[in-house]
Amino acid sequence: MIPIRKVEEKKLSQDQLIFRLSIFPILFLVFGLFVQTQAESWSTNMVNIFTSPGTLLTDFFEVGGIRAAFTNAALMGGLTLYLLHRYQVRIGGLSIAAFFTVLGFSFFGKNPLNIFPIFVGGAIYCRYQRIQMRDILLVLLFSTGLSPIVSQLMFAGIFPIRIAIILGMGFGCLIGFIIVPISAHMLRFHDGFNLYNLGFTAGIIGTIFTSIMRSFKIEIEPVFLVYQRNHGLMIVFLACLFVYLILLGIGINRDVVHKYWSILRFPGRTVTDFTMLVGYGITFVNMGIMGLLSLLYVVLIGGVLNGPVLAAILTVVGFSAFGKHPKNSFFVILGVWIAAVFFGYSLNSTGMILSVLFATTIAPIAGTYGPIAGIIAGMLHLALVTNIGGVHGGINLYNNGFSGGLVAGFFVPIIDAFKKGGK
Amino acid sequence: MRHEVKKISRIVDELTTMLLKDDTNEVDFKIKMDLKQTVITIVDYHSRCDEKKIERLRESLSIQRQHEMEEYYWQLAGESDCDDELTLVGAMIDEATIELKDGNLHIQLIRYRE
Repeated sequence: MIPIRKVEEKKLSQDQLIFRLSIFPILFLVFGLFVQTQAESWSTNMVNIFTSPGTLLTDFFEVGGIRAAFTNAALMGGLTLYLLHRYQVRIGGLSIAAFFTVLGFSFFGKNPLNIFPIFVGGAIYCRYQRIQMRDILLVLLFSTGLSPIVSQLMFAGIFPIRIAIILGMGFGCLIGFIIVPISAHMLRFHDGFNLYNLGFTAGIIGTIFTSIMRSFKIEIEPVFLVYQRNHGLMIVFLACLFVYLILLGIGINRDVVHKYWSILRFPGRTVTDFTMLVGYGITFVNMGIMGLLSLLYVVLIGGVLNGPVLAAILTVVGFSAFGKHPKNSFFVILGVWIAAVFFGYSLNSTGMILSVLFATTIAPIAGTYGPIAGIIAGMLHLALVTNIGGVHGGINLYNNGFSGGLVAGFFVPIIDAFKKGGK
Repeated sequence: MRHEVKKISRIVDELTTMLLKDDTNEVDFKIKMDLKQTVITIVDYHSRCDEKKIERLRESLSIQRQHEMEEYYWQLAGESDCDDELTLVGAMIDEATIELKDGNLHIQLIRYRE
């Protein structure tokens, strides 16, 4: 039993926390204005992003350029914070994770147009079940990982435009309506050892949807539209944002340097809300450290900081408020590395970097069962994630969450079978 | 509120697992539901918990009710025996009282219905 320790730190109101997080979308907007790499107009590029089918991997840097991609992310981040404020959702580990996940995936796949029907479906569900939007808002934010279904139906040219719009909106609403009970049910498959539970849920829904489409001879296949140039300024910009998180944490809890290590004793299994367990100060420092480590990894390995990689880094940062820390993430990453070397994958390719960073979804396995289990889980994860994208045709943006759920659901009972003694 | 009875069962399941695993071998549970609230009363006999542990348990269970956490994660409560979900139980209840009397740990949890 690891109960809460009383945390002594500066108290911040919910609005103050939202204000501090709003620095991210604001600076994204500002950064987008200063960096421009394509000759096309901003509005044309925004239209390109909004009308892109958005299936894996569609990098919005490639589709609409850096300025429009950052504008889209700023819009989505601002919208998320507005919704959290509007429905009075507590700014805790899960809502911080949801905010950064939406922010990150707005660089590849999500935009205000394709997430809109999902929220409409969620609102209908609330009305039908007579519950408040506040209760399901976080699930809806995560469920936008299925937004490519909406874009695919509307803009892939499969149907005439009027029918396409009706189908896209209709399926989006349906996802919003069914996602809450399905996602809650899926947790029991992996017992909370996969942090991206919605990724697993979305993988199941995506597989069913794609299979139905394929039965009608409509092919949905993953694509590979990825930006391949590095921008030094973007690396510096991101590093500054992560340093900001560390300074924010120190500002909230002056004793954070001595107390940071207390976070490493948590296995990280869902529900591990660091804001409740160790306070906001240590949580923000952990997020900043995980962000800097992820960025450093990408730079040292010689990878490209494109839209999908940016999404992976921001998702790691977000979930560092809800279960991830350097200790439980390390051994899973090591497992992915060992498997990558064994299978002969190029470590600095975008796909490989995504697998390494997103593999931390199963960090709780290492946190709970130790380094060896973590390494084996990481190896299994790589084997799966490189093969399951085709199953759902790339319409589930959280491909690693899908894989992580399968690994955890398969591997954890096996570890249990070998465990001896105990009550 | 949907799945109300099931959610109460999960809270009881989680606490049963925790108490029998970490503290004692004799526990009483009483659950009283009415239109306004559900009261769960637990007596954990011959408790080995010291004041420090009780204080930490009190803090874990006294975090504010969080509906968004409950709606998404309630099915995880009571699922695992390698780790506890006290944070989740804390997010599913409105009030918690924990006292040590004559060597027995008395816990009362209140969950309001909306």
